[in-house]
Amino acid sequence: MAEQSLVVRGLNVAYGESKVLFDIDFDVAPNQIVCCVGRNGAGKTTLLKSIAGFLKPSSGAATAGGVNLIGHRPYDVARMGVKYVPQDKKVFSDLTVRENLELGSYATKDYNWDRVMEYFPKLKILLDRKAGFLSGGERQMLMIGRATLGNPKVMLIDEPTEGLAPSIVTHLKYVFGELSKSAALVIVEQNLPLVCGIAHKVYAMRDGRIVAELPGGAALTPAACEPYL
Amino acid sequence: MVNAFKWWWGILLAFGMLAAARFFLPLPFVNEVLIFSIYTIGCSFLLGRVGFISFGQPAYLAFGAYGTAFYLFYVGTNPYVGILAGVACGFICASIVGPLFVRLRSDYFALVNLALAVIVFYMMQKVLAEYTKGDNGLWFLTNIASTPVLNLGRSSEFFIFATLVAIAVWGLYKYLDDTIFGACCLATKINEAKLQFLGYSNYKVRLLAFIVANTTTALAGALYAVYLGSVSPEITAAARAADPVVVTILGGVGTLFGPLVGTLAYTALRDVLSKFIGNWELFVGFILVFIMLAGEKGLWGSAAPWLQKLFSRGKAADAMGGERR
Amino acid sequence: MDPQLLISGVIFGLSMASVYFLMSIGLSLCFGLMRIISLDQLLYYSVGAYLAYTVSVVSGNVWLGVLAGVVVSGMTALVVERFIFRRIYERELTFSMITSFGILIGGVGVIKAIWGVVPRPVRMPTPDLVTIFGTEVPVYRLMVVGIAALVYIGIWLFLNKTIIGKAIRAGIEDVEHVEGLGINVSRLFTITFVIAGALSGLAGGLHAPLIMVDPQMGLEVLAFVFMVVIIGGLGSIKGTLVSSLIVGQVVSIGSLIYAPLALMAPFAIMLLILLVKPTGLYGSTMVKK
Repeated sequence: MAEQSLVVRGLNVAYGESKVLFDIDFDVAPNQIVCCVGRNGAGKTTLLKSIAGFLKPSSGAATAGGVNLIGHRPYDVARMGVKYVPQDKKVFSDLTVRENLELGSYATKDYNWDRVMEYFPKLKILLDRKAGFLSGGERQMLMIGRATLGNPKVMLIDEPTEGLAPSIVTHLKYVFGELSKSAALVIVEQNLPLVCGIAHKVYAMRDGRIVAELPGGAALTPAACEPYL
Repeated sequence: MVNAFKWWWGILLAFGMLAAARFFLPLPFVNEVLIFSIYTIGCSFLLGRVGFISFGQPAYLAFGAYGTAFYLFYVGTNPYVGILAGVACGFICASIVGPLFVRLRSDYFALVNLALAVIVFYMMQKVLAEYTKGDNGLWFLTNIASTPVLNLGRSSEFFIFATLVAIAVWGLYKYLDDTIFGACCLATKINEAKLQFLGYSNYKVRLLAFIVANTTTALAGALYAVYLGSVSPEITAAARAADPVVVTILGGVGTLFGPLVGTLAYTALRDVLSKFIGNWELFVGFILVFIMLAGEKGLWGSAAPWLQKLFSRGKAADAMGGERR
Repeated sequence: MDPQLLISGVIFGLSMASVYFLMSIGLSLCFGLMRIISLDQLLYYSVGAYLAYTVSVVSGNVWLGVLAGVVVSGMTALVVERFIFRRIYERELTFSMITSFGILIGGVGVIKAIWGVVPRPVRMPTPDLVTIFGTEVPVYRLMVVGIAALVYIGIWLFLNKTIIGKAIRAGIEDVEHVEGLGINVSRLFTITFVIAGALSGLAGGLHAPLIMVDPQMGLEVLAFVFMVVIIGGLGSIKGTLVSSLIVGQVVSIGSLIYAPLALMAPFAIMLLILLVKPTGLYGSTMVKK
């Protein structure tokens, strides 16, 4: 088997006294799209944040392409090619779209925006608009576009389609497909039709544990995922 | 009866020990410790229970001290009435600024309070100089009439009075901790939103805590005024604004006996060290930074679990009642 | 009121506003980005003033002294950030407040140990007077105002035109997110803290010839700087500028009307503004996460 893009073993995370993640094992192969489903509070965001370095796990390991991620600051993790795209579409609203992208470039030393503009042509005309004035869909385009700078090996995307119009969701679905040609994607998502349309593998989470691993393909239907929501 | 004793015995033991210390420690030192610890408990309560840090405690100390001073200098001679006047003055001032201040976020709260302390300093030093005699301060030691029972003019009898007051203050704070009010205070510190869901008003809880704490501080100011027989603007100087905070941190934030232990350590250190190094601020500053970096548990915070273990080995039942922290 | 008195009063107020602005900009930036209240800025102010004194006595040039003050306070800030603040960024706000107050008090002790407690005078760099609308105004005060204006433009350009400045603005919105992009935020913090310290040092150096330099000077200016920061709102550069102009004029014009008013009036204004808007004029409602 080829070397995995992301491997998580025995990950335990606690907020103070209360444990939120229990012995998470997790594999993502290169160019794979892995989706994570589960109810609110199941620990999906916590999982992504722990891998990205924002939370300090109490034990466990996470490696990307054989490189250890645990114990590094979030910016180091990002520089190792593991990009986290947070939920709530947090763009820097006081900065213009161009400045938002410049920051992404500054962080990764990748000043080539061709791919961003190819995926999201709409951003081209919005470059000098303050990000605070963008619509939810445009913000999400900016977030994902910015994260593709530096050509990351792994992208951790948290609730990308929450509250977006169906046409934008369709577009994002196409973009995820394109992105998976160069990277492995971990997507936390509640939109089951989308999940079933793109995922090569689905992990279902409940109460801080992974309770099921569903392989992708024809057998993966919204009905099959439903019990875990 | 037994329960009441169990409830009180920690406090009585602590102050009993302090009263015993009076016989082998100099009296001014013990008196200073008593007043200072009353001064600090308000600050400790605000920081530890409500999560408000106040660098403006000297302002409330000054309200109490000047309330007493004005009474004894211009109006009457009875020190007890003077102390009451000081406490009333502190209560009124705290009730006036309180509704305004407690609405603020904790960072603004600290800044506004410190600004208040500086303003009160200038007010007493310059603006009201006509009445406060400016930097010279008010001297009224000779105005204090001797009273029956406990004559506050004599420091040995003042000591007895201050001990009784301190026991009462500690009883009050222990009581507050035990009531639902204490729980509410802690709750506003930890999670404001959830307290509101329970149907309590953050604002009211904080306001009450603010007034109680700062009236206590004013009481300490009034005691200072009577004990020293004089008050000057120096009492509210910004350079001294750190004192109660340092002592609170030194003793252990939010603990019942932290202020007492902190005051003892602080006053002793100051008396001993100021003989060797003239530069007291240097020392205060660095001890503060050091404690913060070392883990901010403070003396009592570190010692309490150890003491609890010691007691529970001997008398398990009593230790449960007496040592809550 | 006598128009001549008024004009000199306005100029005096502007020069005070300049000093307050230079100081509070640091406090405001540090709060905005790192969510700390850095009371030790007042120490760097004193350090700047004392360096201006020592170097101007040794070299005879006050400007050289101001420059030395900026450099040394920036370096002091760097040391303090590296050894103390770096450990406490993730703690609560009160934590940084207590710690920085400790640094301030301790630093005042160090200043006393080095320079003693006697207030020291600093020579005016230029004794010239210039006539504006028939009123003679000291040139130096105008220079202070000019330098503060230049600093404001410089800070504006830095924040809007350089990539580090853009990262700082982004960090003021959401520092975690900046870190997620792969930007080394602890370096960002260090840069911001050193800039803040150097500006406080500049404020001290510029203020020194206008007052006597003494160990407690940081604590004396503290109330005004706080009022500026509170009125303007923590974390806002524009608010800081507006409120320092307000406080400067109120202090100056107020003292022309009735001297004790100079101290009380800004405080009254602060209380009034807080009554209406508890986060200050331009303050956001952001809280520490």
